[in-house]
Amino acid sequence: MSISIKNLKKSYKNHLVLDDLNLDIKEGSLFGLLGPNGAGKTTLVSILNSLIPKDSGTIQIYGKDLDKDSAYIKSICSFVPQTYAFYPKLTSFENLEFFGALYGLKGNELKQRINYCIEVTSLEKYINRKAYTYSGGLKRRLNIAIGLLNDPKVLYLDEPTVGIDPQSRKYILNVIKKINEEKKTTIIYTSHYMEEVEYLCDEIAILDRSKIILQEKKDILVEKNSNIEIKTTNGESKKINIKDSYEEFTSYITDIKNKNIEIENINFGHKSLEDMFLSLTKQDLRD
Amino acid sequence: MFKYLLKKEFTLIFRDLHALMVLFIMPVIFILIMSLALKNSYSNSVDSPLKVAITSTKNNKTIKVLINEISKNALFETNFIKVKNKKEQLYQKNYDFVVELQSNFIERIKLNDKNFKLNIYSKPDIQVQKIELLKKLITGASSKIILEDLLSQQKIKTKEVLDFEAKIKNQFIYKKEGFEVTPTSVQQSVPAWLVFSMFFILIPISNTFINEKAFGTIDRIRSINVSLFPILIGKIIPYYFINQIQVIFMILVGVFIVPLLGGDSLEIKGNYFLIFIVSSSVSIASICFALLIANISKTTEEATTIGGVSNIILAALGGIMVPKFVMPQFMQDITEYSPMAWGLQSFLEVFVRGGDFSDISSYVYKMFSFAIICLILAYILLKKRS
Repeated sequence: MSISIKNLKKSYKNHLVLDDLNLDIKEGSLFGLLGPNGAGKTTLVSILNSLIPKDSGTIQIYGKDLDKDSAYIKSICSFVPQTYAFYPKLTSFENLEFFGALYGLKGNELKQRINYCIEVTSLEKYINRKAYTYSGGLKRRLNIAIGLLNDPKVLYLDEPTVGIDPQSRKYILNVIKKINEEKKTTIIYTSHYMEEVEYLCDEIAILDRSKIILQEKKDILVEKNSNIEIKTTNGESKKINIKDSYEEFTSYITDIKNKNIEIENINFGHKSLEDMFLSLTKQDLRD
Repeated sequence: MFKYLLKKEFTLIFRDLHALMVLFIMPVIFILIMSLALKNSYSNSVDSPLKVAITSTKNNKTIKVLINEISKNALFETNFIKVKNKKEQLYQKNYDFVVELQSNFIERIKLNDKNFKLNIYSKPDIQVQKIELLKKLITGASSKIILEDLLSQQKIKTKEVLDFEAKIKNQFIYKKEGFEVTPTSVQQSVPAWLVFSMFFILIPISNTFINEKAFGTIDRIRSINVSLFPILIGKIIPYYFINQIQVIFMILVGVFIVPLLGGDSLEIKGNYFLIFIVSSSVSIASICFALLIANISKTTEEATTIGGVSNIILAALGGIMVPKFVMPQFMQDITEYSPMAWGLQSFLEVFVRGGDFSDISSYVYKMFSFAIICLILAYILLKKRS
């Protein structure tokens, strides 16, 4: 496991934000962390990055305890916040040089890492332009580039595609996929865009009201929701999971044919992740 | 790593045009204006003397002597005018004083005449000291005329005796022998507005620091296993250099630019090492104060308001805007609580009075203590809020 969280608790004053949370994330996984506003996603990611302390529980990252080996864990992890966490008045190169130095890189190693990050995020043309002149998409790419400087084993991406155009978003998603595939980097991806998580992640967890209410491999989730709904002209309707019950499906079709009942409509389920998310989190509006 | 922390801060400062304007252009304008505006308050020369109209029923020899005696004082330009309307003389002819006297006023004084009268008319905004000075000049001149009469009646040669005023001389005793710097407006203005501008370092410091917090850059840095203390220290050093550039720049303005506009030239005779000690103390105090304001405030607008208002209050209390010596005693006592006053007094001790370390040590200790307290509070707030 790259990340193993056991009985994690965190509260602010009297408000419980994370309640006895357990979560295991495999090495090299592209892990989607979903949850409505206020569910505790940011708190969880902040604890994992040692930005805020936990109340209780244990966290192990690559076999090391977060409390005891915080310095090592920080050196193998990288956090890309939702905000543009860089200096707008510096150029991309200056930003990368500064953050690279903070990671302890210097000389040729620093130059090589900067070049790699620029190449991966295709920032070559903009490297000497001040960051405040960038479009939203370029700023997001720079934000990610900085996060790749230390060649992390674990990369936390907090809503990295907010406020950008579809082309930039698609590009960024592909960059993330590429990093995960080529470097086997474990990526923890939080987002409100369900279709992104569905497209990108191989495993998904939904965090709501301080707890993980669902954790599953994406393929299994899709399979579990491969229902179809058959409506007939006599007003009846029947739901069947064709993956699990193919025989039930064929016998039902034979049956209605024999009874001379016509099919009015077949609704192919494949419930989307968003439908699942809304049904699991009860659809009520959050602050 | 530290090299890149410094490089980043320097780059950010030199790309912040507004901050550079506040740090360099604003104090230069203040120095030029205040050095020229306060020139006469420090100088013995008078550019525009006060106009006095002596009026009486007739202009006789005694009145001419009186006019001559008053005119010996460069502060007054005295003329005899037949005045019909005193208000018109004051408000339309721009006289500062109208002195109405009886043409035989000397005789009336000698006779101790109960009907003797001598009236001085002036606008209400004339300083009381100037009215008192004119009164003393009139009484002095009258006494001189009476004494001259008495002595001539006794056939005593009077010329040498009556010119005794010319024998009265004021001599300055300087605090340090051989250190004879005449206090001028520029000697006050340069250190005053220099200290003021050094404290305005809080604008760029708070802007960068609050943006770092708001954009999550501080969190990103913390997630990279860098502790907050070197980040705070990394901010002090570049801004310290900026403050030192300000010191050199403002001194050069005082030495070369102010005289070009008709002001006095700044004389730098003080010990350079002491100037360095003072400028370093002011710098450390102002930067740590700025870090505290940056950590108290949540937005740049809040920091600019809190910091700007605090700086103006500290400057008003610290003798920056109004020289300490013109304040009443209780206000002079209050100045002792302003860090800007500690900086200003230290600079004046070194620049004007040729003081040594013992003269500035208490101010230097106060500034460093102030800086340490601000830095500790800033660190606690930063830790608490992040």
